[in-house]
Amino acid sequence: MSGWRLALRQVPALRVDLRGIVPNALDGLSCAEIERLPVGHGNATLPLAEFFRVEADSGNAIVVAGDLARFDRVGWQMAAGCMHVEGNVGHYAGGCMSAGELVVAGDTGLLAACEMAGGTLTIGGNAGDFAASTLPGSMDGMRGGLLIVRGDAGARFADRMRRGTALVFGNAGDFLASRMVAGTIALGGQAGAHAGFGMRRGSVVFARAQRPLHVGETFVRALGTTDVYWQLLARDLARHGGPFAGLAGKRTERHLGDLAAQGKGELIFVS
Amino acid sequence: MTVSSTGEPEVRNGVLVDATYAEAFPMKATRILITAHTPVWARHAALSATGFATSVIACGCEAGIERELTRDETPDGRPGLSVLIFSMSGKELARQVERRVGQCVLTCPTTAVFAGIDEGEAIALGRNLRFFGDGWQISKVIAGVRYWRVPVMDGEFVAQESTAVVKAVGGGNLLLLCRDTESALAVAEAAVSAMKRLPNVIMPFPGGVVRAGSKLGSKYAALSASTNDAFCPGLFGLVDGSVLTEQIGCVLEIVIDGLSEADVGAAMRAGMLAGIGIGAAGGLLRISAGNYGGKLGPFHFHLRELLPDREAA
Repeated sequence: MSGWRLALRQVPALRVDLRGIVPNALDGLSCAEIERLPVGHGNATLPLAEFFRVEADSGNAIVVAGDLARFDRVGWQMAAGCMHVEGNVGHYAGGCMSAGELVVAGDTGLLAACEMAGGTLTIGGNAGDFAASTLPGSMDGMRGGLLIVRGDAGARFADRMRRGTALVFGNAGDFLASRMVAGTIALGGQAGAHAGFGMRRGSVVFARAQRPLHVGETFVRALGTTDVYWQLLARDLARHGGPFAGLAGKRTERHLGDLAAQGKGELIFVS
Repeated sequence: MTVSSTGEPEVRNGVLVDATYAEAFPMKATRILITAHTPVWARHAALSATGFATSVIACGCEAGIERELTRDETPDGRPGLSVLIFSMSGKELARQVERRVGQCVLTCPTTAVFAGIDEGEAIALGRNLRFFGDGWQISKVIAGVRYWRVPVMDGEFVAQESTAVVKAVGGGNLLLLCRDTESALAVAEAAVSAMKRLPNVIMPFPGGVVRAGSKLGSKYAALSASTNDAFCPGLFGLVDGSVLTEQIGCVLEIVIDGLSEADVGAAMRAGMLAGIGIGAAGGLLRISAGNYGGKLGPFHFHLRELLPDREAA
């Protein structure tokens, strides 16, 4: 696969739906064919070239330059290859992606990595509300892959998450891991209110827990040791560095819940 | 007297090496890693899991401790042991692994169990043992590997979901023909010690040594194997076809299972060289091997071909 560079001509007047502009869809197309690919602009459909200057690139990735805050569904249903955005993106970034690597240097809007099933999404800035969560009306949120947020995450991060790993280097908003079904979340900063609200299973690691701990009434402190599991998890998280480096050597305190749901989830506070 | 292919007897340090071969057969094998809070408890579990696993004839599998593992070599950073388990079929191996891990590792304080081989057909390791958790078991996928966390009274038992089965070689062997019991034990112990330094092999019998070498068949119809009378000193002069001489008072055998033909050959070579190092002065008079005329298995380890050239030695 050859690489392409898409340089934003100017910020569009309306929101743009960029679904379909993913590496697996561009594979084998000529420059002219790519320029004619349809994208949604408001209630109209326009060729990609209306918004981007398309050039061949020496690498294997699709590199998108410019502030794409008005561009939604960047990397939507991405199934292979690499895509790098050198700025912000709109809503649904990396939504439903199943493989490949999507890197967003800036911030993302709402619902980044929603129902993500595989691959890796790295957000260099902040993620809006409902990242790694479910599409409205759907039962399962993120269900595989790896989401890395190097900044802060908004509210309802990983709502209904079912599988995969989601890391936030900074802080997270209210209702972190709400209604979580399974999977792993690691938080480098502080969480807002009601972390783990209604979680059934899954693990939430607070890498830099501050005392006193804010744990809901429907969680119970675990007595038994889980050293083996913690070593396996901490060693895997350590490769991401930052607040997650050196976790294996630290002590943990676990709280199990949410007893209002099923009680098999765990909040792991690292001290 | 046995002679080499050149017609010359192969004698090294006074030890005659028979012009014969060990006959081995294909098996299925897996490696599991057992870790624990301390090396002592890892060994308790490993010894228990590899107990009563000397021969597939009646044990269902042949198993042994391959080596100790340092903290750097285990997935959870704790001390551990690697264990090799061999059986005649993948199905029987799966049954044995589940039974032994379930009864001997899950039950042992502080232990955890992991796959020691990645490539190959997967068989259950913790996949079914998880049900011991009675609904409180938790699945966890870390770095693409699924583990099961089963709550137990000392905390939780962690088991990787599956391990892999690979083709292997079983039944490599050496027969050490010695002057008496003391020398035979010393030679066998030295040979086993040398073999244990090598990876990918186990010697499944007690202490790595077996005194009850067998031949195929029996005068009793119900038995498929019986004592190897040709190598029994007590039957010298009584049975037809005894291969012993008056000087030999004790014969011990070492059986080797390995993950490959090369591994078994390397272990046999190490064992022979250890015995030859002791030599006739130490009581080792001959080295031979068990075979069944090529009827048992496709792997033939010719003793003299395994030995290094005299110059190299």
